[in-house]
Amino acid sequence: MSETVVTFKNVCMYFGGVKAVDDLSFTVEKGKIFGLIGPNGAGKTTVFNVLSGVYIPTSGEIKHLDKVINKIPAHEIAAHGIARTFQNIRLFNNQSVLDNLKIAYYGHIKYNVVDAILTSKRFRTEEAQIEKECMQILDFLDLGEYTHQKAGALPYGAQRRIEIARAIACKPQVLLLDEPAAGMNPTEIDSLNNLILNIRDHYGLTVMLVEHQMRLVMSICDEILVVNFGKKLAQGKPQEIQNNPAVLEAYLGKAK
Amino acid sequence: MNRNKNNKIIINIILFIIGLAICFVFENMGLIKSSIILVIEYIGIYTIFVLGVNLINGYLGVFSLAHAGVMAIGAYSSALASMYLFDSALTFPISILIGGTMGMLAGMLLAVASFKVSGDYLAIITLGFSLIIKSILQNMEFVGGSRGLRPIPQYTTLIYIYICVIIAIIVVKKYIKSKFGRSILAIRDDPVAAELVSVNIRRSKIVAFGLSSFLIGVSGSLVAHLIAYTNPASYGYTSIVDGLVMVYLGGVGSITGSIIGATVWQILVQSLRGIGIWRWVIGGGILVIVMIFLPNGIYGNRELTWKDIKNLPGAIKEKITSIRAGKAAGTNKKQKGGKQ
Repeated sequence: MSETVVTFKNVCMYFGGVKAVDDLSFTVEKGKIFGLIGPNGAGKTTVFNVLSGVYIPTSGEIKHLDKVINKIPAHEIAAHGIARTFQNIRLFNNQSVLDNLKIAYYGHIKYNVVDAILTSKRFRTEEAQIEKECMQILDFLDLGEYTHQKAGALPYGAQRRIEIARAIACKPQVLLLDEPAAGMNPTEIDSLNNLILNIRDHYGLTVMLVEHQMRLVMSICDEILVVNFGKKLAQGKPQEIQNNPAVLEAYLGKAK
Repeated sequence: MNRNKNNKIIINIILFIIGLAICFVFENMGLIKSSIILVIEYIGIYTIFVLGVNLINGYLGVFSLAHAGVMAIGAYSSALASMYLFDSALTFPISILIGGTMGMLAGMLLAVASFKVSGDYLAIITLGFSLIIKSILQNMEFVGGSRGLRPIPQYTTLIYIYICVIIAIIVVKKYIKSKFGRSILAIRDDPVAAELVSVNIRRSKIVAFGLSSFLIGVSGSLVAHLIAYTNPASYGYTSIVDGLVMVYLGGVGSITGSIIGATVWQILVQSLRGIGIWRWVIGGGILVIVMIFLPNGIYGNRELTWKDIKNLPGAIKEKITSIRAGKAAGTNKKQKGGKQ
């Protein structure tokens, strides 16, 4: 039996009368690629938002390993194991790619203001260390050529990968990818496919994935959760999901 | 490489000492008119001030109007310290530190206000802060009410200003290159993304406001000890506008820009003193023109480095050739147009 890294227990997230997430329970096991699918407006991104601390859930319990993280501020969640990317790219456009990654080390850097101003030994060793690690991440994601360029000026595909690189720089155990394949062509999706598998194996991550591209989801996910109107519709292996009548109904409508 | 670095440090120290010597000569030998020295002193003081304002309004990208109030706090607290607590010119650095620290505490309180409020609403809150400080000072008989506080011992010299400016520039430079500086630049670009890649926004803002207000407080204490007098009216709307003008004229998010902004504006304001109220018209006009052609300010979001200075002749040459080429292209077009 493998370890559980993320647990949702009866989680509800209401916005006024809208039940974006309604009594949702599931667990994610370590090292798996966990897909989250559903029709538009089903509450997939809201699941990511409550998990990464953007919203505090109305009720229920979210656990990372054994720790309840419902009310922990977002920046602490990011520093302690759950990092994410965004549906519409949110890089720091005016900063270089390297600085984008360095910012993600904020939660891990220990020096204080006085160290920084006096350029103490602690400051220099930590800065040298994170620079080295950032370069390693950039090289691993094949982004080395962009290191000193401004992030906002780069091509779309590169920006998507920089977002993933920045999330990895938070040193997470769980990586949340919000529609990483949005706007990509089939060739790019295939390379993304390999990239996600490589990242998982190299950094020993658990990956949670919100995605509309069934080609990607069905080929790499170990387990898939289908949500509709904030509720769990089905959960299981890709083949089981593909043949599940309830899922087909939600996506395609009822057969007459 | 290490040796190269050591050489650099030695060169910097030598430059620093040369600057110190120049200040000493200027101040004591009477080579230059004292009115010009006063302008130089104002430039130095306002460079520190603008560096402080730029940290919040430029680097952090928050539109704050609190600088007048913070400067007043720095000026009054340090003036009171040198009038009642210490009575020797040797303890002047302590007074400066007191002014800076009091400013810093006020700034940290303002940071708390910026947690939930942003944009125009924060501008109103910080404006309110500046005006409240002014009214309090006007109504406190203890510090002279609206007549002002005098006599403050005249401790500020060009050398003090010089040292403070150098320290301020170094501190801001180191700060911007550290994780705290990176984090405020990230917050300016996208606060939500910053928070979700582990930036503690509240702490970053407190540190930024604290450092900014410390510098503004220091500039306040220097100016009070320079003219040996301070009154609440000096920290009203004019002071608020002055601060903003110097930041946006010189360039947001840039140390070089801060220095340029303070220098240009102080020279302008001081040299146009002869024409009375009209100087605001000329100054304002220049500001409008600069903002139209350089929306980021004269040196916004970039820094002048040694490399730039070394490459300057080449860059000018390139610019001239490109302008010439452009002109040639322009005339060609005209000719073509004529033919049609």
